Amino acid sequence: MLQIENVSIKFGNIEALKGINLKVQKGEFFGLLGPNGAGKSTLMKIIVGYLKPDNGHVIMGNELVVYDNVNFRRKIGFVPQEISLYLELSAYQNLKIFGGFYNIPGKVLEEKITEVLKLVQLEDRKKDAVKNFSGGMKRRLNIAASILHDPELILCDEPTVGVDPQSRNAIFDMLMKLNREGKTIIYTTHYMEEAERMCPRLAIIDYGQIIAEGTLTELKKMLERQVTLKVLKTSITIEKTNELSQIGKLLELDGHYEIIPNEYFELNSKLFYYLEELGIPADIINLSRASLEDVFLSLTGRSLRD
Amino acid sequence: MNIIYKLIKKEIIRFLNDKTSMMLTFIVPIILMVIFGNIFGGHGSSRGKANLILINNSNSEIAKFIEQKLDSTETLRLIKNYSEEFSEIKFPYTEEIAKEHIKKGKISSALILPENFFTDTSSSLLFKFYYDPKNEIESAMIQGSVQQTIMSQVGGIMPVLMMRQAKKQIGENKFLNFSDDLKKTVSANFGVNVDSLQFLGGDFEKRAMNLNNNNSSNVIGNLVKFDSEQLVGADVKSPGLTRSIGGIAMMFMLFTLTAAANSMFEEKSEGTLNRLLCMPVKRSHILWSKYIYSLLLGIFQLLVLFTSAWLIFDLDIFSNFINLIIVIIASAAAAVSFGMIITSFAKNINQASGLSTLLILVMSAIGGAWFPIFLLPDWMQSLARGTLTFWAVEAYIQVLWRSADFSAIALNVLVLLSIAFIINFYSLLRFRKGKVFR
Repeated sequence: MLQIENVSIKFGNIEALKGINLKVQKGEFFGLLGPNGAGKSTLMKIIVGYLKPDNGHVIMGNELVVYDNVNFRRKIGFVPQEISLYLELSAYQNLKIFGGFYNIPGKVLEEKITEVLKLVQLEDRKKDAVKNFSGGMKRRLNIAASILHDPELILCDEPTVGVDPQSRNAIFDMLMKLNREGKTIIYTTHYMEEAERMCPRLAIIDYGQIIAEGTLTELKKMLERQVTLKVLKTSITIEKTNELSQIGKLLELDGHYEIIPNEYFELNSKLFYYLEELGIPADIINLSRASLEDVFLSLTGRSLRD
Repeated sequence: MNIIYKLIKKEIIRFLNDKTSMMLTFIVPIILMVIFGNIFGGHGSSRGKANLILINNSNSEIAKFIEQKLDSTETLRLIKNYSEEFSEIKFPYTEEIAKEHIKKGKISSALILPENFFTDTSSSLLFKFYYDPKNEIESAMIQGSVQQTIMSQVGGIMPVLMMRQAKKQIGENKFLNFSDDLKKTVSANFGVNVDSLQFLGGDFEKRAMNLNNNNSSNVIGNLVKFDSEQLVGADVKSPGLTRSIGGIAMMFMLFTLTAAANSMFEEKSEGTLNRLLCMPVKRSHILWSKYIYSLLLGIFQLLVLFTSAWLIFDLDIFSNFINLIIVIIASAAAAVSFGMIITSFAKNINQASGLSTLLILVMSAIGGAWFPIFLLPDWMQSLARGTLTFWAVEAYIQVLWRSADFSAIALNVLVLLSIAFIINFYSLLRFRKGKVFR
């Protein structure tokens, strides 16, 4: 569906993207995870033909994406990171304006507007000025304006920034519905929870480079530890430090111990049996599975939110 | 073209939803035009008058006559009485009260005709004039009106005063001898009866002073003949407004069209510009749509302004309508290009607004939009020719004031269209490097 080959771009002295290579299959929900300023939005703008890469190219289907080729853009729906709407106009007027650029016949456009307003649950507010909408409603309309023309590929550039959990869930449901209907979706985010929840396959981008790519399982397998045990420091656990270090590599941190269990204790049953034997109460134990945050931390030495 | 048409339609929808822009585009220029129209006598009799305290303490006929004439001028409103605060009782002005009111800024000028203004033996007219030049134009206008009224209406008194001065200078006996000798010489050489000749007093003075509005017997008035004939604009109904409306129109059109061009920065900050550029819309589509929309908006704005002037002040816009439309289109094209070049150079909306406001005000001031450029020093007048305001304002004056044909405005139109073409071409090049599309 989409092939990104060796794409690089510079803004002045800053190398925003450094030789990006990616493949996205038709019908895939592909995630692009990375901190702010990693180059996610720049890559989106290159895919849509808004920015011209200094090197490399993008192929969609069998066609080479040419910079400023407006006809190609009819196949793509780009959901910008910012709320990119005319706030003084109504939801309907916004959709009518943006839909108008895709040469959709009047009657069909009216039907599409009704359909997407229903999809984003804004049918009853279609005549209201967007400036009176909540953040979540604006975000939903922001997406609606990008899918009116029934695009094959939807590029979502952090579509849930600043949205309340309820609206976020509504956006997730909407995008998953579109994906089930066959749309290919590329979803950029710096929220690892979103990426884990939405994207079966994803790439991690940092400083303009893809530092990892694969399914969630594949990415997590890159980690030294899949499970981390945290035990609070109490009079009991301080006395049993030596015994705890038998479980695996033990780090003594402020207020708690962090233990990466060795192969023997990877099975939860063995681990909990051993802890019980030591007489350590369950309410001071926390066992956590590896997350994408951990993957990013291990790859870059930084947190996603840094 | 379809995309450009849709972008223009989008601009119109946005404009119609923006009440502030609508007001600034149409209502504010009309309000200013109404104010200018009234200042410059848009309705003729409704022109404002300057207040002048007049205290006439003289019993002479000539003082009463001057008071009556001043009272009937179009430029002065004589104030003869005053009332205390919170009281409706009127008191006649005294010299002291008049001075006090001027010092307190209640009024700017007072003319006093004292008791000894003109007596049987006066050899001069004695006036007292008190003023506060806080408003120099008003002061100059009042003094000019007073002097003009005196010289034009009672100029005949001058020979009488001159004779009385002569009598005072050389003494009564010598004056009488001189007078008798003069009479005899005139009688001998011109065959006039000696008894009918009189150079001082009695009937001569009455005839000379001419207080009966009969100009034919006004001695001084008949010495200098000044035949004046207005060759241009004699039948123009609102002369002041006709001359000034081009300047008002040009200034507001520049503000409107610059704001329209600068709105690209607003769209950029709102994110809609980027969204459009990720749709099947090119940069050139956006630039063309902005240009065409701004041009149409400028033309419509001026049509509304001129139509309002026609409705309110009876401004004649139809006798030379085709040429007026040509000038409107040419000046709108130049104004749009001005807005586009500012947008192409500026880094953000604040810079664009600040720069355009500064340039529009300077161009309006030196280009003749606010006042005639002959008031400016020579070097500034030369500089004015480099502004599009100058060429537009001159063209409007030609069309509206002189009812000139196309040949009279051809150069102005050519200059305006050339400005539009050159600046637009340059701004298109600038947009490649400018910040608005980055």
